[in-house]
Amino acid sequence: MPTAVRVAGVSKRFRLDGGADFLALDRVSVSIGAGEFVALLGPSGCGKSTLLRLVAALEEPSEGQVTVAGSAPGELARAHRLGVAFQDHALLPWLDVTANIGLPFRVAGRAVDRARVSALIGLVGLAGFEAAKPRQLSGGMRQRVAIARALVLRPDVLLLDEPFGALDAVTRRQMNIELQRIWSEQGTTTLLVTHDVREALFLADRIVVLSPRPGRVARELVVPFARPRDAAVMRTEAFHRLADELTDALGGGA
Amino acid sequence: MLLGAWGIALFLAGWEVVGQTGALGMSCPPLSAVLAVLADPARALLFQRALGATLGAVATGYGLGLVFGVVAAAAGHLLPGMRGGLDRTSSVIHAIPSVALAPLLILSLGRQATPAALAGINTYFILYVATSSGLAGTSPVLRDLMSVLGAGRWMRFVRIDLPAALPTLVSGMRMAAPGALIGAIIGEWFGASRGVGVIILNAMQNFQIPLLWSMVLLTVMISLTLFWLLGAMQLGAARRYR
Ligand SMILES: Nc1ncnc2c1ncn2[C@@H]1O[C@H](COP(=O)(O)OP(=O)(O)OP(=O)(O)O)[C@@H](O)[C@H]1O
Ligand SMILES: [Mg+2]
Repeated sequence: MPTAVRVAGVSKRFRLDGGADFLALDRVSVSIGAGEFVALLGPSGCGKSTLLRLVAALEEPSEGQVTVAGSAPGELARAHRLGVAFQDHALLPWLDVTANIGLPFRVAGRAVDRARVSALIGLVGLAGFEAAKPRQLSGGMRQRVAIARALVLRPDVLLLDEPFGALDAVTRRQMNIELQRIWSEQGTTTLLVTHDVREALFLADRIVVLSPRPGRVARELVVPFARPRDAAVMRTEAFHRLADELTDALGGGA
Repeated sequence: MLLGAWGIALFLAGWEVVGQTGALGMSCPPLSAVLAVLADPARALLFQRALGATLGAVATGYGLGLVFGVVAAAAGHLLPGMRGGLDRTSSVIHAIPSVALAPLLILSLGRQATPAALAGINTYFILYVATSSGLAGTSPVLRDLMSVLGAGRWMRFVRIDLPAALPTLVSGMRMAAPGALIGAIIGEWFGASRGVGVIILNAMQNFQIPLLWSMVLLTVMISLTLFWLLGAMQLGAARRYR
């Protein structure tokens, strides 16, 4: 499996207002194979979003190197081959659901594939809300619009920053199952940031656990469940055991 | 709203009383006398022509000022190298008082074009400032989004900076309207052949106090109408783009 995303020895310092440096990530190395699904797990503030932003070329590493498909991370974005769902959804307030999901086509200078857009609207359970503006949607619905927008161009690399954070448990499971299905069809290289151990186990091929202050890789775990997975896997003994193990790793800093 | 209407009514009533009693002397005629001048059929044609000339100058100047202000702000936004120069030039132009600028304009553009030019300059500056600050106000989250979607500077400008700047731009348009009117009237003082400003000047020199006041009232009414119309537009923009 060729490497799609390579984060090699990356540290990230932020200059705080007082002038002091804050070390958010400390020599983090993570690689994601082409077509692999990696979940990034860790407590709040441990640098998950920062790592994702480095891969999206929204931040520069202070040390180390990030490469995506062998080039600088910005190249993929410029080729319109990167899909990102941000933690705070980032919808354009003046566009309706359809136009927000179609936006990547317009930015790429391509005709909007209406069939694709409406298929995705159905997929994320927003049929009937095509003409709604973001402010008329709930937080969870906005997140689902953002996910649809991230998927619409069938990107080579998909970055999802807690995309289901605002969803209730039931909708969240449904969205997990949908994402699993979409992902198995397309085999997109994916980095998913999450707090939810069960979500990570259900979706990912591999899980990377970060420990906080400074953010370091505390643990890596290959998820042993065969694909395609269905919801039944979440009720197996092995699933429960791994979930407990990861929860411990999160709490105790491994 | 109702309170505002009451306030205006009270003010107008007070004006009438002060005028009738002559409390402030000759210079403050009663409202009814001023209105009588405005409604005088013998003067209707004069007023119509004057109003036409002034509003024409306002429309031309406002339109040009709007276009130049927005285009200059967009240029400063898209080509950061130009930003400093544009900022300085705009503030210098703005810092010169209209009365000092008018003779220069008369020399370069002629008497007839000066009212529109002054209206335009007043509009330009406000629109330049409003548009610049609106364009700079795009949320960082949306900027990140455009960057990961692979948008260039121009695409970002069209898709997010400009729409996000619209409410500020439109409120700039609203703020600029009275300034454009004042610019046009001052411009007319420097030898235009007709216009509200010309009547004001003549009335002042000939002590036609009620006529003078009637023109002031007219100006205020135009100004308020423009302000109100653009206010409705501003509300629309704010609803849609925020
Ligand atoms: N631009 C910035 N300037 C200064 N500090 C920052 C900046 N961005 C992030 N940080 C700091 O870096 C650390 C990691 O932030 P990050 O957003 O990556 O956390 P996270 O793991 O995504 O947390 P959460 O799960 O709550 O989203 C935090 O302590 C945060 O304060
Ligand atoms: Mg985060």
